[in-house]
Amino acid sequence: MKEVRSWSATLVSMPGKSGRVIACRACSAELCGTDASWKEHAVLRESPLREAAGATYRSAGDEVLLRRFYCGSCGAALDSEIALPGEPFLLDRLAE
Amino acid sequence: MDPMTFSIIRHRLFRIVDEAVITLKHVSGSAITNEGHDLMVSLYGADGSLLMGGVGFLHHLTSAAEACKAVIRKFGDRIGEGDVYLLNDPYTAALHTSDIYLVAPIHYDGKLVAWSACFVHVYDIGAMNPGGFSPQSIDIFTEGFSSPGIKIVDKGEMVQDVVDTILNMVRSPEMVMLDLRSMIACNNVARERMQSLIAKYGPETVNEAGAELIRQSEELLRARLLELPDGSWQSRQYLDVQGETATVRLTMTKKGDRLIFDFTGSSPQSRHSINCTYWAALGGLFAPLFPLLCYDITWNEGVIRLIEMIAPEGSVVNCTRPAPVSVATVGAIQSVNNAACATIGKMLAASDKYREQATAVWHANHFAIFKFGRNQKGGQSIGILTETFAGAGGASAFADGVDIGGEVPNPISRMANVETVEASFPIRYLFRKRMADSGGPGRWRGGTGGELAIVPHKAPDGGLHYVISGKGDRHPMSDGLAGGLPGGPNAYLWAKSGEAAAAGDDGRLPGGAQAVSWGVFPLMGEDALYVRWNGGGGYGDPLDRDPENVAKDVVGALVSADAARDIYGVVLSEQGVVDTAATDALRGSMKAERMAGEAA
Repeated sequence: MKEVRSWSATLVSMPGKSGRVIACRACSAELCGTDASWKEHAVLRESPLREAAGATYRSAGDEVLLRRFYCGSCGAALDSEIALPGEPFLLDRLAE
Repeated sequence: MDPMTFSIIRHRLFRIVDEAVITLKHVSGSAITNEGHDLMVSLYGADGSLLMGGVGFLHHLTSAAEACKAVIRKFGDRIGEGDVYLLNDPYTAALHTSDIYLVAPIHYDGKLVAWSACFVHVYDIGAMNPGGFSPQSIDIFTEGFSSPGIKIVDKGEMVQDVVDTILNMVRSPEMVMLDLRSMIACNNVARERMQSLIAKYGPETVNEAGAELIRQSEELLRARLLELPDGSWQSRQYLDVQGETATVRLTMTKKGDRLIFDFTGSSPQSRHSINCTYWAALGGLFAPLFPLLCYDITWNEGVIRLIEMIAPEGSVVNCTRPAPVSVATVGAIQSVNNAACATIGKMLAASDKYREQATAVWHANHFAIFKFGRNQKGGQSIGILTETFAGAGGASAFADGVDIGGEVPNPISRMANVETVEASFPIRYLFRKRMADSGGPGRWRGGTGGELAIVPHKAPDGGLHYVISGKGDRHPMSDGLAGGLPGGPNAYLWAKSGEAAAAGDDGRLPGGAQAVSWGVFPLMGEDALYVRWNGGGGYGDPLDRDPENVAKDVVGALVSADAARDIYGVVLSEQGVVDTAATDALRGSMKAERMAGEAA
């Protein structure tokens, strides 16, 4: 098994203390095991899209949320998604 | 077979499609065809399977294959040399009724050897609303003429009674006839060039080359898939119509040499005409797949063999008759395009080898706005605002998206010149330009979309009306990638001259503004129609963007000073020069604020 392999553009998988883990590509900080949903272990900032800066986001619907996922160790942006309230996270996973 | 002969035949097939496309454009009189390039031409095998995919809207490549197969099933031994068949029923193969397929058998020595197929969005199809997109339709029966297959040319002779019947059901029959003639001419060119090719190399050799081409495509895509990581990736798209939101959900799973697109969980079919049929959804996922995964592979049946689609019956991506579908191409089909583009982008980004091929979602929200009414020459005009084809590029792992840079599902889409539109319609453009803050923020910024405003001008009836099939402006659809943010959403405003403007209204427009998105509206007197279209998605962390690039964007009015500071963390002087120390401090505090947050 390759020691460190890509999980996404911003994440890698690598050996951890108890099996392979998902880690931040920028700082190698561990998030969770590869069988877990990494987004649940990242810092989440969820806010109405229309509150984000810029002229065009202001016309988005009140209920439209911008979710931004960050590394809690280095603050790197790991992913973003648009969601309505109550939507589960989009789940992306690799077969290890 | 001899590689030189194979290569020559392969290139001849490409050129046949190219020449047929040129013919289609030259004969057609519709701006949507010869300006917007809402067209497609491809070659198919004797059994209707895709042999050589052409350019134009790529979601038609597989649907036109099904159209050929439907005609084969229906007409069988009655298919004759020189015949041309029309098919536009969405529940048989087409995307929506106004995208008419003309499919023509190609014979050599009396034997059926291939098919050519093409489509254009015809000037009108007789739906409730002019132009083909029919937001007021409640079922397929109100979406105009619809045929599961009918012969309009019999052994080289026009079947005039059939054609007359079709023309009797549409607005502006002379323009629809020109559309039909353009497609007949296109198929004639394809047939003659194919027959010439076969005459030179022999039917067995050409057939063998076609089979080898399909085998090569299958093997090349299989090899590429085996290089990509196994896994599953998700995306979702929201479509908003008059307060009702439908969701397209996709889980794309890649395992070995197979790619499965599963739309389980998508919303039930809508009462609005945003739905699409099975064949339309299949075409919708192939439209981004061909250019993103097969950019160096011939688009044919070999590619299709490795792909599987699961689309629940009765859902917005596989509706059942008689659900309305006239807005499908800018509705559920485009959402399938976007969702597939997003998951393919994520898969590529997960690969060290292919990361630089990954792209955020491009121009994801078409707006179908058809102007109609009496023009300045006294005739009737119907025509789309071709800016919907102008698009916006998604950012990639190494570059910004191209501003107003087209779209993935149609590599040759473009918009008409302002002057071309003003010559055909009694309108005048107040402005048409790139839109600030429309490109999704990221280390690499999504390409900007644009904005425009039009007013009546020398209109004999005081103005026009327009049909708008917008999906609303509530949701951004061009997803970002790798931490990049989405492109800004669309907006459509009816600016009413004489009405008091509210705080925040656009001072460039006359009077107060009212949002419009679905139905038929007037553009009369001194009123204006304002349209803003989305930018592409961004790629990577906005805080990693080179501050000098942000400064250039602000100077170029592509990014506002607010967004530069609050999203990119870049501090500029009043002269627009980067304050490096203040920028470093601001970005540092923004990162610290991120780290202080709690895990989801």
